[in-house]
Amino acid sequence: MGELLDWSLVSSTIRMVTPILLAALGGALCSRVGVFNVGLEGLILVGAFSAIVGNHFTGSLVLAVLFAAAVTVLFSLLFAYMTIGLRANEIVVGVAINFLALGLTTFALRAVFDVKGAFYDKDMAGLPQLKLPLIGDVPVLGEVLSGHSPLVYLAFLIAILLHLFFTRTVTGFRVLAVGMNHTAARSIGLKVTRLQVLAIAMCGVLCGMAGAQLSLGQVTMFSEGMTAGRGFIALVAMMLGQSHPLGILASSFLFGLMDALSIRLQGFSLPTQFTAMLPYVLTILAMFFLKDKGASSASSSQQSTR
Amino acid sequence: MEAIKQLSKSLVQPLLAVVIGLLTGAIFIAAVGESILGTYQEMWKGAFGSFYFLTSTLARATPIMLIALGLSLAFRAGVFNLGAEGQMVCGAISATLVALYLPAPGLVKMLAALVTGVLAGGLWSLFAGYLEAKFRIQLLISSLLLNYVAVLFASYLVSDPFQDKTGSAAMPQTPMLEKSVWLPKLFPGMSVHAGFLFALAAALLIFFVIRFTAFGYEVKMLGQNPFFSRYGGVNRVRVMLTSMFLSGGLAGLAGTVEVLGSHYRYVEGALTVPNFAWTGLMATLLANSHPIGVIFTSLLLAALQTGAMGVERNTEVPLELASVIQAVLILFISAKFTYSWWKNRKSKRRESQHGRAA
Repeated sequence: MGELLDWSLVSSTIRMVTPILLAALGGALCSRVGVFNVGLEGLILVGAFSAIVGNHFTGSLVLAVLFAAAVTVLFSLLFAYMTIGLRANEIVVGVAINFLALGLTTFALRAVFDVKGAFYDKDMAGLPQLKLPLIGDVPVLGEVLSGHSPLVYLAFLIAILLHLFFTRTVTGFRVLAVGMNHTAARSIGLKVTRLQVLAIAMCGVLCGMAGAQLSLGQVTMFSEGMTAGRGFIALVAMMLGQSHPLGILASSFLFGLMDALSIRLQGFSLPTQFTAMLPYVLTILAMFFLKDKGASSASSSQQSTR
Repeated sequence: MEAIKQLSKSLVQPLLAVVIGLLTGAIFIAAVGESILGTYQEMWKGAFGSFYFLTSTLARATPIMLIALGLSLAFRAGVFNLGAEGQMVCGAISATLVALYLPAPGLVKMLAALVTGVLAGGLWSLFAGYLEAKFRIQLLISSLLLNYVAVLFASYLVSDPFQDKTGSAAMPQTPMLEKSVWLPKLFPGMSVHAGFLFALAAALLIFFVIRFTAFGYEVKMLGQNPFFSRYGGVNRVRVMLTSMFLSGGLAGLAGTVEVLGSHYRYVEGALTVPNFAWTGLMATLLANSHPIGVIFTSLLLAALQTGAMGVERNTEVPLELASVIQAVLILFISAKFTYSWWKNRKSKRRESQHGRAA
């Protein structure tokens, strides 16, 4: 048991949790304005690829992350235009966005780098590992908390800021109002469409950063379809967290821990499938107790395509 | 005659979208610096170029078509079933186990496996429907979550208790099924199998059920206007659960025929990696949930994918050309409601102006 649970497990959990947390926060913003965004997976993938492209051509990590965020925002605006502007079904558009992202990144990988499968450059620097000044010297705490990429710290900061945004600011209340009932929100003079587009664009920024952390923070490379279902996991984390920033923080942690644990369990010849299954079962169970909050809104409830 | 007219009307929009999809594909082919015409020729050859390629396109279309038919039934009843993947896997693994371990003669075993596949897929999807009906847990979300549970559980089954340990490399797969339970091939040496006929039969059956039976009418009513249907005495829960069961059952059948007809064992990832479930969803959307239209759209998407394999074999253009074209197709199709919505809005506005003038 000592081998299974030690402090480096927590450290690797924090690293693994970051892309999921960022994307889930983005998804939460969308769900708070009444849009169910299934396209997170595709948005992260676009972010991951454009971060590598930005890094390759500018040589600057800051510019690379900004470039990733910008390209992903463009992609999310396509989602916004289709769902809000053209009133297309958001789930359908989300699925299409995922396919489009997979196709486009593979294509661009060929067109830009002329490689197939994966792009790796040994001279390319990944995101730096920040040594926290004071905490870094404390024995256990330093080992766990220090030495992560800046995006990791940013992710946790954003979760807290988003919580304050929803509970303390007027704009935050307005966003919540749009999600609860957008006809009512419109009737009191809120710019519903603008708030929705803004939320989706912010979701793009967050997913772009999630992708950057994936491709530059963890491995410094891009491979086809490297998100491997993380966008859907983020979607589930968002549901389990009821679209509440702190709830998402907790649920993403649970997912990250399961992820880190199942990698470790492989060395113990235990079925890892059950640890991997746990978050999904927990989410279904949680839905028994926490109904009609966050994840559900007037427009994400049941609907046919016709 | 009316039916043909309706069918052709519902096919105009998809055809337009196909043209736009191919144009977008052309831009990307040009971006990689390949000849557009040459690439599309390779795509055509890869999908229909020879009898062998034609039959592999039909084989690939089989699971897509069955899944799409199931989903179209759910959509018609107004429920968004996102769980086709889990339902397919559930059906496939249960059918495989029955085909492996049921002590019975070959033909009986094959039939039992097919029935089990349908039942397992149907019950898995019924579970999501039950959660919605009984506890108001959104089906959209629960069916998505249940995918992971099913896929992971099947993965556990084939990588531990039921794994084929005879080979040198212990792959996560079950032992090979005996030859007597294999679905017959339609042509010797070609990959299309009897499952394709099941898919065609299912399409016709659903078409007749929707059009000529009371149940079909209730499904349509429920999907188009739940309030009106309740007023008209439709038992919402019963119709929803039945269509969910049938929807999952068809997905289960899709997984089962893949196992009995082409892999002859449950191989981990063989059903999930080719994205059959999401492609089936697209085929339904393209056909606007019309069962006969689904036959054509499934063939189209399957041809796009097998064609792209040919493209990848013979040119520098990657396989994902198909993903791009598919995505553009879907974006254009989904914007369609918009067009009619916009027209409605315009005519409504005109009406209200008239009303005011009067």
